[in-house]
Formats: sequence, structure tokens, C-alpha cells
Amino acid sequence: MKHPKSLTREQYLKQFSRAVRWRLPPQESEDTIADYRELIFQPERDESKLVEELGAPVQAAHLLTDVKTYRRWLAVFAVLAFGLFLLAKWAWTGMTVTTGFFSYSNVWYPVWVMAAGLLLSLYWFRRHGQKSGIVSKWLILALAVVLIMGCGVLYEIWNVTGIPIYEQLTSHTSRHRQDVILLITAMMYIGVFSALAALVGLVLARCQDRRWLALYILGLTVAAMIGFVTFNMKRMDLSMPDAHEFRTYLFIQLSLMGTAGLIGTGVALC
Amino acid sequence: MLKKDLLELCLLQLLAGGDKYGYEVLTPLRAAFPDTQESAIYALLRGLGKAKLTTWYMAPGGGGPDRKYYQLTSAGQARLAALQEDWRHMRDAIASFGVE
Repeated sequence: MKHPKSLTREQYLKQFSRAVRWRLPPQESEDTIADYRELIFQPERDESKLVEELGAPVQAAHLLTDVKTYRRWLAVFAVLAFGLFLLAKWAWTGMTVTTGFFSYSNVWYPVWVMAAGLLLSLYWFRRHGQKSGIVSKWLILALAVVLIMGCGVLYEIWNVTGIPIYEQLTSHTSRHRQDVILLITAMMYIGVFSALAALVGLVLARCQDRRWLALYILGLTVAAMIGFVTFNMKRMDLSMPDAHEFRTYLFIQLSLMGTAGLIGTGVALC
Repeated sequence: MLKKDLLELCLLQLLAGGDKYGYEVLTPLRAAFPDTQESAIYALLRGLGKAKLTTWYMAPGGGGPDRKYYQLTSAGQARLAALQEDWRHMRDAIASFGVE
């Protein structure tokens, strides 16, 4: 027979809190954690028999789970996480599964993913999420990092899209070519990083404080903008206007996406 | 009656004897049902609260921090009476087979 692993009171409560915050709605999880704190820290309680008497922390959380509500949350999480996976994949490979077949239509895919993620996440967390204390300094720091990276990549996009396409393709030894390579590399890494940051924000919005959703929305926005630019730059449309017009077109769309993302970030922080 | 109903009956019966805090409820029940973990009993206790069969209040507890005391509601008392009735029927049915 397998012997239960021994945990200290603090370890038990920590593992239980983590499991319960993931599985239960915020108010219910906080109530349950308070009850378990009382049960665990009873002076009569033998710490060495904690797991034996109460069961493993995850198992204890499982017993308290309302399966229907939990499955609904898992479905929402799966949709949002899948959207982030797509954005990360598009930033890294620059391709969708339909690239080659419908290469002219897929430039809007990242925008659709962003719109769906923005609306679904705000609806869910405004309805089911809960604030906890003051805004974490780590959240502010993470938002600043994603914002700086997003602005940095936009600045580089602005520079490169100002170069005539002909020069981008032919000036093999020029600084333009280096700029293009730098931009593509930055878009790949920052796109994936933003999607990962968004995923972290999503998990923390569920487990700690719903305002972490701001990180999800900002990361989603940056990743979607990068996806949009990548697809536009890769579509090889020979009827494309000149560099100046293309840049204007691109930045009008990016401004709209950025504005929607920043508004969403602000709403998530309120 | 399932084991869950028996646990519920015992839990309500315990609370019928006076308001009790969590550990006070869980310990005797675990002693009576040794193969049941306290988390399962706590989940049942929480379920009773959601069904409005019990309610709770905070009160000072033995020099330490405040404790959460559970209390039976009138709906809980009705549920206890129903479970007691079920239990008597079952006990009589089993006894009719000669089970002591």
C-alpha cells in the first residue's frame, strides 16, 4: 500500500489553496481556504497525520469541486489558451494551416482571435472573477515589460515598412536587410513571449486576482498585432501599394487593435 | 440508505446536540467512519450549508483565533427527522432478516 506523503501544515495549506483556487469560484475558494486553515492549525491536530486524515490536498480540492462549474471554466480556459497557442505559432512560423490555399484571406485571423479572447475573457472574469487587495507590483512590472516590447517591435515595424519593398528584397548587403532580419526575429520572439505572458496572466487571474487579466489582454494584443503584421508582410500581394501607403494602411489597423487592447487592459485593471 | 446518507444523519445528529466548530464535527465522524477522510466529511458539511440545512457564525474559540461554528437550521432539523425515519425503517428491515 502506498504511504501518504507527509506535509507540514504550511505546505498542505499552500498546495490545497493552489488546487482550490484553480477549481472553485473565487469567493468559494477563499471561504474553503479559511475553513481549512482553521482545521489544519487546530492545536490538537497531529501534523504528521495531516495527509492521512484530510487526504492529499488535490484530492481534498477535488471533493469540493462542483463538476459542472469547473468544466465550464475549463472550457473557457481551453478556448483562450488555444487562441494564445495559435498566436504563438503564427508569430513563430508566420503560417496558418490554410497558408498557400487562402493566403489572401488569413491576415485577419489574428484579429479574430484577439476579438474572441478579449470579449470572452472580459465577460468571464468580470462576471466570475474577484479582486484581491491592491494591484500586485509584479503585475505592473509584467505589464511594463510587455508594453515596452510591444512598442519596441512597433517602432521597428514602422522603420522597416518605410523601406521600399524592392530595397528590402534586393539590398542584400545593406542596413535595410539587417533591419528586416532583426524585425522578423524580434516579431518571432516577442510574439511567442507575449503569448506566454498572456497565458501566465490568465492563470493568475483565476488563481490570485482577476486584475492579472490585464496581462492576458496586453499580451494577447501584442501577439495579435505581430500576427497581423506577419501575415500582411508575407502575403506577397503584387498589387500591394507602395511602402508609404502600405505603412499607413498597416498602422491604421494596428492603431485600432492597440486602442482596443489598451481599453481592454484598462477595463481589466478596474 | 447509502453511506453518504448515514454520514449526513450522524452529522446532523451531532449538530442537533449543539453548535459545533469544524474540528469538533469532523473528529468524531472520522472516528466512527475510519475509512472516510475528513475532507469528504467537510465536503458534505459544506454541501449541507449550500442546501441551507446548516448555517454558521464566528465566535471566540479557546483563547485562539475566532472559530466557525455550525448550527442546524429548521430545514436541517426537518431533514434530520426524515433521515432518522429512514434509518428506523432500514434498521427494522434488516432486523426482520435476523441481523442483530
